[in-house]
Amino acid sequence: MPSWQDFQPFLVTGLALGGVYALSGVGMVVLFRATGVLNLSFGAVGAMGALIAWQAINVWGVAPGVGWLICVLFAAALTTVYGLIFGNALAKRDPLVKATATLGFALLLLGAMDLLWTTSGGAARSLPLPTDNSGFSISGVTIDWTQVIGLVIGIVIAIATTLFLRYTKLGTAMRAMASDREITAMLGVPVNRVLAAAWFGCGVLAGISGLLLADLVALDATTLTFLVISSVAAALIAQLRSIAVTFVAAVVIGVITSMITPIQSITNYANMTPFVLAVIALLVISGRQTISLERGGI
Amino acid sequence: MTATKVPDSNVSGDGARVALSVQIQRLDRRTKIRAAVVILLLAFCLLLLPSIISGYYVIAMTQVVVYAIVALGLGVLVGRVGLVSLGQAAVLALGAWVAARLLFATSLPYPLVLLMSGVITMVLGTLVGLPALRMRGLYLALITLMLAGAITTVLETTNFPNGGNGFLGYNGASVQPPAIRRPSIATSDPGFLRYSIVVAILMFLLVVWHLRSRPGRAWAAIRQSEASALAAGINTTRYKLWAFALASFLAGVAGGLLAGSDRFLYSYDFQTQDSITLLAVVLMGGVYNIWGAVIAALFMQLLPQILNQIGVSPYWLIVLFGIGALQVLTTAPAGIVDQMPKDLARLGRFIFRQFRRPAPSEGGAQ
Repeated sequence: MPSWQDFQPFLVTGLALGGVYALSGVGMVVLFRATGVLNLSFGAVGAMGALIAWQAINVWGVAPGVGWLICVLFAAALTTVYGLIFGNALAKRDPLVKATATLGFALLLLGAMDLLWTTSGGAARSLPLPTDNSGFSISGVTIDWTQVIGLVIGIVIAIATTLFLRYTKLGTAMRAMASDREITAMLGVPVNRVLAAAWFGCGVLAGISGLLLADLVALDATTLTFLVISSVAAALIAQLRSIAVTFVAAVVIGVITSMITPIQSITNYANMTPFVLAVIALLVISGRQTISLERGGI
Repeated sequence: MTATKVPDSNVSGDGARVALSVQIQRLDRRTKIRAAVVILLLAFCLLLLPSIISGYYVIAMTQVVVYAIVALGLGVLVGRVGLVSLGQAAVLALGAWVAARLLFATSLPYPLVLLMSGVITMVLGTLVGLPALRMRGLYLALITLMLAGAITTVLETTNFPNGGNGFLGYNGASVQPPAIRRPSIATSDPGFLRYSIVVAILMFLLVVWHLRSRPGRAWAAIRQSEASALAAGINTTRYKLWAFALASFLAGVAGGLLAGSDRFLYSYDFQTQDSITLLAVVLMGGVYNIWGAVIAALFMQLLPQILNQIGVSPYWLIVLFGIGALQVLTTAPAGIVDQMPKDLARLGRFIFRQFRRPAPSEGGAQ
């Protein structure tokens, strides 16, 4: 068993990852609450944004700052376009159908990324941020600023989103839409504009998390697409409702996944963490909940 | 008014009866024709196909048969019960692992191994589905997505059995691992393709039998409305679990065939993405008709091989599957199996009209 000393750097990595997972998880929960769509293409959109930023910086030679902006804006635009076309077309369908459709979109993006940025034979791509190289150390553990940003941005987004939903006009409109879309429209809320805003916000978060995860984990289409599983687990534990629970669950998932790494016997199973935690949470939740009754099916 | 109406309605009633009997005769003829076509097609696949196609396509077609069984299970789940599993290809990998382990560890006859891998996979799959089945459908989808990730992670570490000892049966990356054995009656590639087709026919019959009996009716009721199914005295959790178990069983049996078909299994051949691709092709094939499963399997396993032969990147297919899944979900929920005949008829009418239109205008000119 490794000593506490060995765990410390992994705790830092875990907190940073957990922060970014929380950012994604909050983005997904808010969109789900406003539109009823669980956006499983979140990771794929972020990955494509990050790859375009890489292309812009390394091939087209734009300044890194512009590259990052391109990433976020591209992700936001892509998500909004999807939301306006398919979000509306599927508005009256079951949440399951809406979520499955976003997977179709993720598949489409994955194929496109594999075509545009082929991995065979090429060297591994990376998208370093300037915050990687500077940092500080606490009791011998070096912490770089990217890791700090990861956790801080998770906290900031979680708090800001909660306040936004509670106190702004747009946030109230989103909460109203979550309850009943038609009554909201009747009350004079410009439903389509609010929807577009929700999708846009979700896309911005997807872009930011894609950028950070490309730096913290790897710039690889498949890896980034399926990192969304950790955020989905967090959202599931929060029953797709509570932003606070999503945040805590995401950080816990990030920390546990990372802290398992130095333990030799189970290090290879670290990526099972979201699954195991989600199953435990579901067992607890389903024990307390009555059978839900709703029409299912594609 | 009524006096004049009565004979009218009588006449129309007689007419309707005659029309109905004609329709029944026609329907009868249609089912007969359909049965004949199916039997001919199966006979062709079983007797002729394995010997006339090249070795490359024999292997590809065996994969098609394997995936048709998995797609069938997923199709029942999605189309008949209204549940979505995002981890069915991972369950297939699990079944292949179990079957490979059994094939190396024992000298049991192959059909028994297929049955055992089906049952073991069914138990494992059902255990996972259990906590999610009482919740909303979305939860089951999400938990199976995570399951797919978890199975991929475990397989990367344990690897597939290759004749080693211990529980995992993994011999390290040995230079020449022994091949997974095949049934003695089907050691050649074409022979194993025939064997797989027979197993697939049995699995299709198992599903048809399910759909036509009590569980099928219960599933139909659940799909319509879970509340009214519950009110009608159907144990919804039990029948949902049953469907999930059936799909896992089919994936387990298919895994057994996959082990014998590939003979050497490697964990990097199984990716999380495959489960999502599988769902996309199953949706495209059509979930309300069992033949949709065959179309799905042809899409997923034969098209990439054809594209490979003509030098087109298989990633185009992933893009196509993504678009296809979106299209099916938004506009054509019954999939290609339903859409294709309609579209072909429309195309036929279109071509017919193109040929017919010039004729009168020519006549007019003269």
